[in-house]
Amino acid sequence: MTAYILHLAIMAGIYIILTISLNLIIGYAGQVSLGHAAFYGLGAYTSALVSVYWHFPFPLALAAAVLVSAVCGLALGLPTLRLKEDYLAIVTLGFGVIVDMVALNLEITGGPDGIVGIPAPKILGLSFRSQPWYLLLVALCVFLVVGLTYRLVQSYHGRALRAIRDHEVTAQVMGINTPAYKIAVFTLAAALAGLAGVLYAHYISFINPETFGLHTSILALCMVVLGGMGSLAGSVVGAVILSVLPEMLRRFHAYQDLIYGALLVGLLIWRPEGLFGRGKMSLKFITRGEE
Amino acid sequence: MFLQQLLNGLTTGSVYALIALGYTMIYGILGLINFAQGEIYMCGAFVAVLLLSTGQVSFAVAFAAGMAAAALLGLALERVAFRPLRGTHPLVPLISAIGASIFLQSLALLLFGPNDRPFPVHFTFRTITLAGLPVSTLQGAILGAALLFMALLVVFVRYTRYGKAIVACALDRDTARLMGINVDRMVALTFLIGSALSGAAGVMMAIYYNATYPRMGLLPGLKAFSAAILGGVGNIPGAILGGLVLGVAESLGAAYIYSGYKDAIAFVILIAVLLLRPQGLLSGWRRH
Repeated sequence: MTAYILHLAIMAGIYIILTISLNLIIGYAGQVSLGHAAFYGLGAYTSALVSVYWHFPFPLALAAAVLVSAVCGLALGLPTLRLKEDYLAIVTLGFGVIVDMVALNLEITGGPDGIVGIPAPKILGLSFRSQPWYLLLVALCVFLVVGLTYRLVQSYHGRALRAIRDHEVTAQVMGINTPAYKIAVFTLAAALAGLAGVLYAHYISFINPETFGLHTSILALCMVVLGGMGSLAGSVVGAVILSVLPEMLRRFHAYQDLIYGALLVGLLIWRPEGLFGRGKMSLKFITRGEE
Repeated sequence: MFLQQLLNGLTTGSVYALIALGYTMIYGILGLINFAQGEIYMCGAFVAVLLLSTGQVSFAVAFAAGMAAAALLGLALERVAFRPLRGTHPLVPLISAIGASIFLQSLALLLFGPNDRPFPVHFTFRTITLAGLPVSTLQGAILGAALLFMALLVVFVRYTRYGKAIVACALDRDTARLMGINVDRMVALTFLIGSALSGAAGVMMAIYYNATYPRMGLLPGLKAFSAAILGGVGNIPGAILGGLVLGVAESLGAAYIYSGYKDAIAFVILIAVLLLRPQGLLSGWRRH
C-alpha cells in the first residue's frame, strides 16, 4: 500500500513538471502545444538511449535529454511562433505524430517494444533506486521547477510574457520583442517537459512509444485547463487531481478520454479560469470580451 | 509508374481538398480552426457504412445520409463548442474544439470498437486504359465526385445570395450585420456546408481504403489542415490547390523516398510553408 502511494506521488510529481511546462506555453505565452508529450518522450528516449547504450552517468544523460528537447522546441518554435496561435497547435500535433512514428520505426528505439533496463539514477555514488529516494529526487526537481517558474513569472520577463498574452500589439509597441519571448518560453517549456520525461524513464525503467502519444498530450492539456491557465498553483493541483483520480476510478478506464474531452469543453464554457484562475495569477484575457 | 503515382496522389489529394474546404471556410468566417473536422469526416463514413450494412438502403441514400449526419454534427459542434465562446481569446475555442474532437473520437471508440470495418457494399471496379495509362474506375469516380463537389461549392459561393452573404461575413462581420445579414445563421450555414463536404470525403475514403475506424479522421484532418495552410487559409481555390498538391507530394514522396514516413511528408511541407511563405500559395486572391 505504501509502495502504491509512493508510486502515485512520484507520478504526480512528474506530471506537475509536465503541466507547469505546458502552462508556460498556454497561460503565459498564449499559445497551445498539442504535441507536448513528444518533448516528454524525446527527453525520456534520449536519456534512456545514452544511459543504456553509452552508459552515460545520470547527470550527463539528464543534461543531454534536456538539451535535445530544448533544441527540438526551438526548431519548432522558430517557424511557427511568429504566426498565429493555431499554427503552433497544428505543427506541434504533427510533430507529436512524427516523433511517435520515428520511435515506432527506428531500430535503436526498439520500435513498439521500446527500451528496457533503463538504470536507476546515481548521483555522486548515491543511488535513487528505492521509491522513497526517488520521490525525494522528484520532489527536488518539482521544487526547483516551481521555484524557477515562479521567479520567472514574477520578473520583468514574466510581466513581458503576460503583456504579450493579453495584447500582443500593445506589448510590441511597448518595445517587447514578442517573437523572441515566445520562442524563448516555448524552448524552456520543451526543456522542462524533457526533464519530466527523464524522470519518468529512469523511474519506470522501461519506455515505449505508447506513453508519449496524443493521449498524454491531451491529459497534460486537461491538467492545465482544470487547474487554471496561467496559474502555477493550479497546475500543481490539476496535475495531482488528474493523476490520482484515474487511479481511483479504474473501473471507468474505458471512458477516460471521453471524460477528458467533455471536461475540456465543459470547463471552457462554464469555468474558463479553472480551479485556481481567480487567484493572483488569473487570466483576465479569458474574459476580455474582444474579438 | 510515375503517372500512376500522380493519379493516386490526385485521388487522395482531392479528398484532402474537400476536408480542407471545410477548414478554410470556417476559418474565413470565424478566424478559428475547427479541430474536430477530422471527426466530422469519420462520422460521415460511419453513418454511411452502418446504414449500408443493414442492407436496406441504397448506396445513394447512404451517401446522402452520411453527408447529412456530418452536417448535423457540424451544426451541433458550432452550437456547443464554438458559439458560447465567441468573443474570447482565440485560444479558448481552439482548446474547446480539441476537447470536442477527443470526445467524439472516444465516443466512436466506445460505440463501434477499435477495429476496421470494411465497406459493406462491394463495387466491381475495372481498370481502363486511358491514353496508355491504367486508370481504376474507382479512382476516377472519387476524383470526379470530389471535383463536382468543389465546382458546386465555388458556384454556390460566387453566384448565390447565401454564398455572397457568407463572403460578406468573412470580409467584415460587423459591416455584414449592418447590411442586414444574419451573421449567426451564416456561421451555422458555413459549418453545415463545410461539414457536409467533410462527410462526403469520409464516405469516399471509406470506399477507397475499405476501412472505417474511430481514429480515421486524425491524419486526414491534419493533412487537410496542412493543405489549407499551403493554399492560404480562408481561400477556397487555395484549399483545392493545396489539397491536390499535398496529395501528389505525399504519393510521390512515398514512392520515391521512403514509404514508412509517408504520413510525415504533409508536416514537413507544412513547416516549410510556414517558414517560407506563411500566407500560402494563393494569398493574393482574397476573393472566395
